Amino acid sequence: MTVPPTAQEHDADLIRSSLADPEAFAALFDRYSAMLFRYVSRRLGPEAAEDIVGETFLAAFSRRHRYDAAQRDARPWLFGIATKLVARHHRTEAARYRALRRSPVDGPVEGPADRVAAGVTAAASRPMLAEALAGLPRRDLDVLLLVAWGDLAYDEVARALGIPVGTVRSRLNRARRKVREALGGTDPTREEA
Amino acid sequence: MDDLELLRDLGRELEHEPPASLTRQRGRLLEASRPRGRGGRVRWRMLGAVAAVTAAAILLPMLAFHDRRTEPAAGTSAPAAAGPLNVLVIGSDARRDGYPTRADTLMLVHVPAGRKNVRVVSIPRDSLVTLADCANPRGKGVPVGPVPIGSAFTQGGAACTLKTVERLTRVRIDQTAVIGFGGFRRMVDALGGVEMTLPAPVADPAAGLRLPAGTQVLDGRQALAYVRARRGLGDGSDLSRIERQQMFMAALARRMRAHQRDNRLLFGRFLAAAAVSVETVPRLDVGGLRALADTFARTGADDVEFRTVPVRPAAADPSRLVWDAEAAERLFAPFRE
Repeated sequence: MTVPPTAQEHDADLIRSSLADPEAFAALFDRYSAMLFRYVSRRLGPEAAEDIVGETFLAAFSRRHRYDAAQRDARPWLFGIATKLVARHHRTEAARYRALRRSPVDGPVEGPADRVAAGVTAAASRPMLAEALAGLPRRDLDVLLLVAWGDLAYDEVARALGIPVGTVRSRLNRARRKVREALGGTDPTREEA
Repeated sequence: MDDLELLRDLGRELEHEPPASLTRQRGRLLEASRPRGRGGRVRWRMLGAVAAVTAAAILLPMLAFHDRRTEPAAGTSAPAAAGPLNVLVIGSDARRDGYPTRADTLMLVHVPAGRKNVRVVSIPRDSLVTLADCANPRGKGVPVGPVPIGSAFTQGGAACTLKTVERLTRVRIDQTAVIGFGGFRRMVDALGGVEMTLPAPVADPAAGLRLPAGTQVLDGRQALAYVRARRGLGDGSDLSRIERQQMFMAALARRMRAHQRDNRLLFGRFLAAAAVSVETVPRLDVGGLRALADTFARTGADDVEFRTVPVRPAAADPSRLVWDAEAAERLFAPFRE
């Protein structure tokens, strides 16, 4: 089941056609399951990610009648469902970040030299970052990670979480401030005005 | 680099590529998108699921049936099998009917030949183990590395769970019993609820559970939420959940014994609910349960001992557990009699 090479149907059209032909919904899985898996694997590791991706699509499938057809892109919708499912594993997630404070991350850093250099910087800051993530309230963490790891724009985060864009901004600011404080603890020059 | 850049880097390091097994999730979706009705039986068998609590499902009918002062059931006077018996009870965390997920609860029950000193050992679902070499229903292999034991059920159903537990414990398992959440609720409701005394009030909004401290009767829905909840109770770990499940089972056993003496009608309803709610391999119907139960003439609820496999947090991942091999060996030795 591959997506036709011709002009791809919008997600919204695809979801609409799945109302009459339920199996068509699988095309949405083919489009976005890998993206969601990568995102959730960052937060919870690969095993939980597999389950959560499965459940996200099952939940989306059962709610497809209520999908807002004006939204062509279904990613925020799917991220929103996945985020709710991730929330059930909040303890696991926090434990995962806490464990990062002391253990090395899997896999070597590869790629162009600038990426390797960036990787070294990232490695040095990792314990502080992990500490900060483990300590963030869930609502702030969800916004921060949808932006940083999910690559959603503010309005998409707002749609995903069902909150106003202003709330996205304030939660993001609060989360970033805490992250910067955690990082700033060892490098005050990084402090921003 | 600003904070978001550092965070993105951390994210890239933590990321995993989708495994081939992700197609299984696609299969679940397709299954859900097909018209219902066809193969309902198969779905139920796979869903298999059960609540830990369900040792109750198989063990308790046996215990409840043991009272011979009431009239003996016709035609079942000759106990079929009075030898030792090992039963694996699997409860699943399927959240909607029809979708198999992980085994939520695993218990190994040992019933010795004399039917005294029944032992129930809970196996934490987060125990990291290497799965037995069993293909899943779609013919795919299982992952090689250590995975939570609960995922054996997802990978290969009850059969794979059984093989994995048999290999880990070197205990031969005679019977598996799988029960789903719906079945668990029905069984508790058929008993008219179960009386529990809670030391402290319980509030788990995620599970829709709010209970005051003190003695009260939990209906099926409340009982299910209580034995599954991880938040707002104890230290929130799987181990404290196991403790609650075991306490609940003891309460369930008391309730059953009381009804078995005083309220045959209610008790019959419970048995009927158990027979249709629990998937047993080899298959036991009401008659089979009754025959097995008849071998328990002298077993009382107090003859049941509840234990949990001794574990410690895994070095690689503190949210997972590894067994204390020596202590587990001692714990399971009596199961091999």
